[in-house]
Amino acid sequence: MTATIVDWSDLLQTIAASIVAGVGITVAFSFVIWGTARFADLRREDRPGPAGVALAISGLAAAVVALGVVFGVIVMTTK
Amino acid sequence: MRAVSSDVVLVIVVATALAFDFTNGFHDTANVVATSISTGAAAPSVAIGAASLLNFAGAFISISVAATVANDVVDAAVITPTIVFAGLVGATAWNLVTWWFGLPSSSSHALIGGVVGSAVAAAGFHAVLAEGLVGKVLIPAILAPLLAFVVAGAAIGASYRIIGRQRPGVVTRGYRYGQLISGGLLALAHGTNDAQKTMGVITLALIAHGSLGAGADPPLWVIASSAAAIALGTYSGGWRIIKTTGTRIIKMDAVQGFSAQGAGAAVILASTHFGYPLSTTHVINGGVMGAGAAKRVSAVRWGVAGNIVTAWVLTLPAAALIGAAVYGITRIFGTGALGPLIVTLMSLSLLAAVFARRARRGAPVAVS
Repeated sequence: MTATIVDWSDLLQTIAASIVAGVGITVAFSFVIWGTARFADLRREDRPGPAGVALAISGLAAAVVALGVVFGVIVMTTK
Repeated sequence: MRAVSSDVVLVIVVATALAFDFTNGFHDTANVVATSISTGAAAPSVAIGAASLLNFAGAFISISVAATVANDVVDAAVITPTIVFAGLVGATAWNLVTWWFGLPSSSSHALIGGVVGSAVAAAGFHAVLAEGLVGKVLIPAILAPLLAFVVAGAAIGASYRIIGRQRPGVVTRGYRYGQLISGGLLALAHGTNDAQKTMGVITLALIAHGSLGAGADPPLWVIASSAAAIALGTYSGGWRIIKTTGTRIIKMDAVQGFSAQGAGAAVILASTHFGYPLSTTHVINGGVMGAGAAKRVSAVRWGVAGNIVTAWVLTLPAAALIGAAVYGITRIFGTGALGPLIVTLMSLSLLAAVFARRARRGAPVAVS
């Protein structure tokens, strides 16, 4: 009975999208913070190589966050 | 004469729906900004101003939820504008009762409960579309807060592992900036899901009145007026609810605030895409509790959380009962505009008395 009145496909897609977006963006943003903090510490320790890598990770993660947000809003507006 | 009477009822319904939308913003949106305020990410005035603007913008980005409310919950063929009116009064009354006691409930479920109750009172249980009510309202209503709880818990677990050994000052500052994004997304999500319920109800009334064909989308004026009403409601206050959600459930740090808001925004936006009418109240509280429990189970004040869950469980049946009772009262005065007019006057008088009593006690009615 429940199977016929519930569109499980839509429901599962909602669950999957929520997990990917909710956890994914938070994890990506955590890498932004981690990279920024490590960059500051490593630069202070005069280690430019690892500092550059940390900054690159931070930048890449920031791009993932921005793209995730923009993608989410585009998906919302195109149905 | 009958056409004029029907027009009068439609005008009353649209005004009542927009008033409900205003109380929705007043009552619900506090949940959206509570987390940012509680962690110190934004000053209350800034958070509320930004949430108002984003609520307004959010109302324009989707109409899937409006379509669900207008077409999938009750049978539009047996609905009259008076039934919609009674449902709206039931929902608004329940919203004000929970606001009075400082309890977050669900404006969305109050609205759907009110309309279902008045429809059953008017036309019997066959007026309810069980498939839509169960599949698109009840099951998502149960799943959404649990999903937000799990997503926030998983997100914060991963975040603490990533940023674990970094200096707390940098981390807190960073996540406070991040909350400008997550809080903004949550406000946008709230605008798009909640304003659409009002759009759906007005569209249902327009279909019942014969102004729109069955299955029609909301006209632009309906979208714009619903957006404006919820934004104005948001700007006008809801401070009692902020206190409950932001500080009484759990004392949060900025990482938890970001995770809770991110989880809430993700769940609401994904659900909106599939047309599920959710409540940000349910979802953000699920996210807040998940973010708290993942760090330390005892950090969550489960007693307050229990009170909130009780209010959620009561919302649908309570609003349905009030909606049914209001429909019964309107029918005492016939099928024309007299019943809705008298109920409107009675409601406004009761509201004035309640607000006057509160003002006499010296408690703030609203803070702008």
